[in-house]
Amino acid sequence: MITSSARNRLINLIAFLILALGSSGIIAKTLKIATVSPEFLDWMQHFKSAARQIESASERRVKVRIYPGGVMGDDETVLRKMRIGQLQGGVIAAGSLTRFFPDLQVYNLPLTFKSYDEIDYIRERMDSRIVQGLLNNGIHSFHLTETGFAYLMSKSPVRSVQDIKKLKAWIPEGDPIAAELIKTFGISPIPLTIPDVLPALQTGIIDAVAVPPVVALALQWHNYIEYVLDLPLIYVYSMLALDSKSLRGLTSEDLDLVTSRLDEVFKKVDMNNRLDNKKALEALVSQGIKITKPRREDLPEWESVAERSIDDLVKSGEISAGIVSTFKDHLSEYRLINTDTKDVSD
Amino acid sequence: MADDLADAILNSNDIETVREAIPAYLLLMDGLLNSSPNNVELLFAAARLNSSYSIYTDATRAKVLNQKGFDLAMRAVCVSRSVLCDAHSSKFEEFIERIEGLKPKDIEITYQLSMSWVSWIQVNSDDWNAIAQLGRVKALLKKLLDMDETWDAGGPHLYMGALETLLPAAMGGRPEKGKYHLERAISLSEGKYLMAKVVYAEQYARLVFDKDLHDRLLRQVIDSDPIVEGMTLTNLLAQERAKILLRESDDYF
Repeated sequence: MITSSARNRLINLIAFLILALGSSGIIAKTLKIATVSPEFLDWMQHFKSAARQIESASERRVKVRIYPGGVMGDDETVLRKMRIGQLQGGVIAAGSLTRFFPDLQVYNLPLTFKSYDEIDYIRERMDSRIVQGLLNNGIHSFHLTETGFAYLMSKSPVRSVQDIKKLKAWIPEGDPIAAELIKTFGISPIPLTIPDVLPALQTGIIDAVAVPPVVALALQWHNYIEYVLDLPLIYVYSMLALDSKSLRGLTSEDLDLVTSRLDEVFKKVDMNNRLDNKKALEALVSQGIKITKPRREDLPEWESVAERSIDDLVKSGEISAGIVSTFKDHLSEYRLINTDTKDVSD
Repeated sequence: MADDLADAILNSNDIETVREAIPAYLLLMDGLLNSSPNNVELLFAAARLNSSYSIYTDATRAKVLNQKGFDLAMRAVCVSRSVLCDAHSSKFEEFIERIEGLKPKDIEITYQLSMSWVSWIQVNSDDWNAIAQLGRVKALLKKLLDMDETWDAGGPHLYMGALETLLPAAMGGRPEKGKYHLERAISLSEGKYLMAKVVYAEQYARLVFDKDLHDRLLRQVIDSDPIVEGMTLTNLLAQERAKILLRESDDYF
């Protein structure tokens, strides 16, 4: 039998629980988001501050928890954890999301962009298609974020397609477009994990890498290369991707809050990264690394290799013919109106 | 004189007094250097003082102070006719060859230069030209560890540990190597140099997401006696930092 004081305590407890569960009746939702980026990077500070603002503006109905520095594993592991509900999202390379929407690789097609203006023109017209394509397949993405152009960096100078055939080049594991491009060049790629690249460059197992300048500098690979080929090879980008199920159950105000605050952050990161890569390229030059330009007479060969590589990607079903043709149409449109575009390095 | 001054500062148990006094010391150092411009010890002492003071200032001023610190350290290196003179602007391959030529008698010069260099990179980490030099400092520290890993109670291990834990493994960092160096720095200083534990918590434990280790290390720092010959001031600063990190712990993990 329950004594009266015990009963009072029970009533108090129930009353407390009712209050604690919230008068709105909405249970707080936590969005757990992982990234391999270390915490000290500038963009992480913006991300964390947006997370705090979301939590306070939603009166703690939505909490964003960030796991930095790869503590939840690499992109593949993050996606696996999203599938089983351990995580709700990740800031990951677009290339890791191809299984959800293969056409997102349209921006990664080799040697297609000649200037940043071209990218901006195309992205303005096609970002929404990528975002929608992902959404149809269960991924809610936010403002797409430029990582930068991958450039070919090597120990010996490269100007022509013939020069490239002599290279022992590294490509990131699990990147079909880079693998296809390298194959089209007629060289066999050497797949290595990122931590293995530096020792491989030191010992000569590889003598070339194709990455954005910021990556080469941050990982100190620049100490083992002497030349950068001034030809933007592949446009690399990333994004914050959430399992779209994780946003179900949010009120429309909370959903607006989450999307507007996070879009704002990644828009800023997108802009800052471009500036960062420009500065990084300058730093490579001031470190004594030489920039080589492809000879004018070699350009058609570079372009034809790129075309062949794109054709092969379409044929193998890696990307749809439809999106490639839309992309090319936009690019032609742009080039028709703008005949004097600047180089990416200008 | 310069050494006595440095000792007085490092052994002070009053952070505020030191902070207020350093600008006067800096001017004093400049004065002393005017009359003895080639005094290696004085140059290094002034270099250390300039970089150390930067922890009390804003980012812009910290850059100015560290640039001066690095220039003074490099001047000391060149006055000593070391192979490291102007090594920061040589080609990387040549730099590595020069390091190979270092002898055990060069340890002090190499160590002093490394400290100024790391500090300079740290305050300039928003500049890719500074980031580009990390590989050189690492090579320098590796040589120091080969020559004498016990130098300055494990100082080179502490710096190496901090550099190896800058980036997560997925981005090319080597946290486990960093852990080895940081634990070695702690054991060589018999746990008395509290900054080593703070770096271990802030960089390694956070990077691998080990809250238990993070909080345990910081509590040890806060509970320790900071008064240790030559380490008192840094230990007090380490305790201040530990309190801040521990407060942020629940938010981070």
